[in-house]
Amino acid sequence: MKKLSSLMLVLILALVVSACGGNNANNASNANEGTNASTNTGSDSDAKEVKITILNSKSEIHTQMTNAAETFSKAHPNIKVEVISTNQDQSPVEKASALYASGTPATLAMLDAGDIEKFADKALDLSGEKWVAELAQPNEINGKTLAFPFAVEGYGLIYNKEVLDEVAGGAFDPATINTTSALEELLQKIEAAGKTPLYIGSMDWSLGNHFLAIAYAAQPDTDVKGFLEQLKGGSADLVNNATYQGLLDTFDVLKKYNGGKNDPMAVNYEQSTAAVATGSAAITFNGNWLITELLKSNPEGEYGFIPVPVSNDPATKANSAVAIGATKQMFIDNEKSTEEQQAAAKQFLNWLVYEDAGQQFLVNEANVIPAFKNITLELNGSLAVAINEYNLAGNSIEFAGNFVPGDHWKVLGASMQKYLADVTDRNGLAAEIEDYWKSVQ
Amino acid sequence: MISEKNTVKRIGNQLLFTGPTLLAFIAVIIVPFIYGIYMTFFKWDGISSSMPYVGFNNYEAVFNDTKFWTSVWLTIKYVAASVFLINTVAFLLAYLVTMGIRGQNFFRTAFFSPNLIGGLVLGFIWQFMFNNFFTSIGEKFGWELFSKTWLGNETMAFWALVLVTVWQYAGYMMVIFIAGLMSVPKDILEAATIDGTSGWKQLIHMVLPLMVPSFIVTIFLSLQRGFMVYDVNYALTGGGPFGSTVMASMHVYDKAFQRFDYGVGQAEAFVLFFIVATVTIVQVYLTKRMEVEA
Repeated sequence: MKKLSSLMLVLILALVVSACGGNNANNASNANEGTNASTNTGSDSDAKEVKITILNSKSEIHTQMTNAAETFSKAHPNIKVEVISTNQDQSPVEKASALYASGTPATLAMLDAGDIEKFADKALDLSGEKWVAELAQPNEINGKTLAFPFAVEGYGLIYNKEVLDEVAGGAFDPATINTTSALEELLQKIEAAGKTPLYIGSMDWSLGNHFLAIAYAAQPDTDVKGFLEQLKGGSADLVNNATYQGLLDTFDVLKKYNGGKNDPMAVNYEQSTAAVATGSAAITFNGNWLITELLKSNPEGEYGFIPVPVSNDPATKANSAVAIGATKQMFIDNEKSTEEQQAAAKQFLNWLVYEDAGQQFLVNEANVIPAFKNITLELNGSLAVAINEYNLAGNSIEFAGNFVPGDHWKVLGASMQKYLADVTDRNGLAAEIEDYWKSVQ
Repeated sequence: MISEKNTVKRIGNQLLFTGPTLLAFIAVIIVPFIYGIYMTFFKWDGISSSMPYVGFNNYEAVFNDTKFWTSVWLTIKYVAASVFLINTVAFLLAYLVTMGIRGQNFFRTAFFSPNLIGGLVLGFIWQFMFNNFFTSIGEKFGWELFSKTWLGNETMAFWALVLVTVWQYAGYMMVIFIAGLMSVPKDILEAATIDGTSGWKQLIHMVLPLMVPSFIVTIFLSLQRGFMVYDVNYALTGGGPFGSTVMASMHVYDKAFQRFDYGVGQAEAFVLFFIVATVTIVQVYLTKRMEVEA
């Protein structure tokens, strides 16, 4: 009996020790993976097989991305590409940092633009890549190109072409709407024609990170980052800020003609989209990503963008510009990935920009607006075409939602909802915005 | 075996039986807990390779975070309302299905089944109920209460959360109450009936005092679950409308994983833990003193 129990004790101790040691052993085997792979394929002297992983945070294109990875692997037989996608509601940063924490980061990780800066010390410097010269807009953080802009997106007032052509009695030109009062006239006309002028979707992300963010981007004498610094430092005075007031003047007009004004919080994404798609409403505030949803309700529909005016002066730049930015960006891991993996990842990015199959994937499969001047394929869908036109004509303001903290959409989205539902007034909203920014370090 | 002389042998035996569990407990509860406290002294965004030591700054930030305290106060109101309603409803249900009515086994299953639906799914189901089902009923019959969605109004959204929580947990607590009711000795009730005591008096003076052990468990469970609520909060209201229903757990989550302020988020989580631990310990201590024996 005595022997048995001491034996058990030894066994348990051994278990404890091995459990503690297990972690290290794992790490070691991970670190050796690269070397193992190369020794395994050493016999096959021509091509070393490299395996790279892509973290895809546009979950809606998971299938297309996987297909693209396969096409790429066929053209480059020594590179195996694995695609991991985040869930619909999962934050890309959460997934990326979880992968880092487990010691297996994705070779190529796609994140929201504002989050790239957090990974700056882990990202490979891509400034020397050939595609940098093809960028429609520079994409630098502290003077370095750290990320590959995967998709350009933009937002504004989306209108149903058929409805507005009918109201205008001819082809409707969105450039004619360049002041708040011109917008109001248009909304009046639509109402007189017996249609619902517009629906304001009550989604917090839309109101907070898109609508309110126009006030950051449309400042006449400073750029987004400069204005956000002023807000953080407490020196921005929103109550006396012409752009902020002008934007809310427009918002008041939108509220007045909102088809859901009796119960504004009940207007959701699907409902506002369906109303515009079927033509029962003319306008809604959203971005070019809405096209998938619009086409679901009406595959034949044609749509365009009206900028959100922030003043009654037609010369104000923001009045004829929509907010456009590269919202999804990919960076190459520089911490755990081997040089071969990094080279393969670079090859994949070049494939996207320069090869026909890659361009086809971007434009026709993933339905994104590419950030590169050399891609001249005809874009898919009227909204993408419209954004691209604004972009190429230089009629764009920055996508300010790319520069705000991760909880901005939720906190200030809620504040905007309060304003939408008349729970707070303009000064109350200004105070909440200022308080939020002061709490950001 | 029991009177071991050899200490090594005794420890060996104890380890043999408790060792594996102890190991798992340490690995998944104690270590993360201590690491969590350790993290409250650092500033970290969850990604950066540098993690500077900031002392008690994070705790200072917690006490200055008015939104956190608003969410804690809201959680306390929510807990008070839901604990009271869950236990009342559950006890009534348990009493009903032990009275010997027809099909009582069916009712037991039926009342219990909401608890088998996960909080997230349940939240989405009820979101549909409040947004579409109730509003169309309100429209049809002209009922003011249901004319607008409950989730669009700050007060009603709060009560919507309470309602769904009660619906979810009442059946579960009912099962515990049924067990408690079954274990009330029949002989003393019979004796009381023979002595001419009414059913109501039996309930108040005999059944309820004998049920205190069940109440300890159910109040403890509903308190703790109420304080830690996240899934229903997330799926049903998402903290809305206007951020008015952000409960403490959601605030902590947002702080850590939306704002990427792990230090302050952890510190808030620890403060929340402290509150919940205090409240539940006091509750168990106080209700224990009310226990009686038949």
